[in-house]
Amino acid sequence: MSSDAHAHAPIPDAGDAMPSYYEIMETAVRELLVEKNAIGAGEIRQMLEVMDTRTPALGSQIVARAWVDPAFRARLLANGRATLEELGIDFFENTQLTVLENTDKVHNIVVCTLCSCYPREILGLPPDWYKLKPYRARTVKEPRAVLAEFGTLIPDDVEIRVSDSTSMVRFLVLPQRPQNTENWSEEQLASLVTRDAMIGVVRAAIPEKTEKSR
Amino acid sequence: MTQTEHLLTRLPTEMGGLDGGPIQRVEHEYAPWEKRCHALANVLDIHKIISTEEKRRGVEALGSELVEKLTYYQRWIVAFVNILFEKELLTPEELARKMDEVAARHEPSGG
Repeated sequence: MSSDAHAHAPIPDAGDAMPSYYEIMETAVRELLVEKNAIGAGEIRQMLEVMDTRTPALGSQIVARAWVDPAFRARLLANGRATLEELGIDFFENTQLTVLENTDKVHNIVVCTLCSCYPREILGLPPDWYKLKPYRARTVKEPRAVLAEFGTLIPDDVEIRVSDSTSMVRFLVLPQRPQNTENWSEEQLASLVTRDAMIGVVRAAIPEKTEKSR
Repeated sequence: MTQTEHLLTRLPTEMGGLDGGPIQRVEHEYAPWEKRCHALANVLDIHKIISTEEKRRGVEALGSELVEKLTYYQRWIVAFVNILFEKELLTPEELARKMDEVAARHEPSGG
């Protein structure tokens, strides 16, 4: 079904219960902007459909490709946004994407101290903990302690780099490829890359039971 | 430090370097209206009506009490409304009338 076919259909809501004051405000603002031709009638619905395709699975595919394709990895590190746009991933906002590569010497972790900037184009909407005070406040001050709370222990000789996102620059962590995955397909590799690994709070790793079964 | 100095030197949304409790790894399924609010933000940015930067400043301009008491997307929609009033794309009267109309759709008797 094309997006136009249902551009004017009502947008589904949670149910018939009286919506909250703020939900009513959202509906009212949207309808007024459409009535005034400030935005198109189907645009919100189309945007919702695009947003539904932007999940951490997209980021996982990008990371797995970077692991197996050195030329792609180099382009991705040089210019994240342009490289992803080549793949047909468009950006909603006027933001740059910087890809941060983890190595034996450097571990990257991403935060937004001011608000909740996040690479939504490739990871979707952020988890609540990313938007709440403890993570935003502490990550820039005591990243090792924050990482330890996620169960991620970083050796003292590994530098931790904290990147603070802005409305102009978003970050994606390129985790290290787990060992003993030399013969894995790109698809199998993508399954190892979690959302949290791309924020940098955990490593990409082979789940223990998978490792035993192999 | 005076009792108000900290209000000037740090914006209500500025968290970096403050003390914070343990990280609770909480997540929730986004409600349909929250997703719509997010889609609205993206569409407003695409049309250059409200940029991401303006949105953040709009949230900051709500002041610390509202920032603290409203949920994430409640802050966004209220900030959008204030910015749209400032830009004279909406008037408070229009919004009030439309909100009454939307609410009336959900009244049991009104259908």
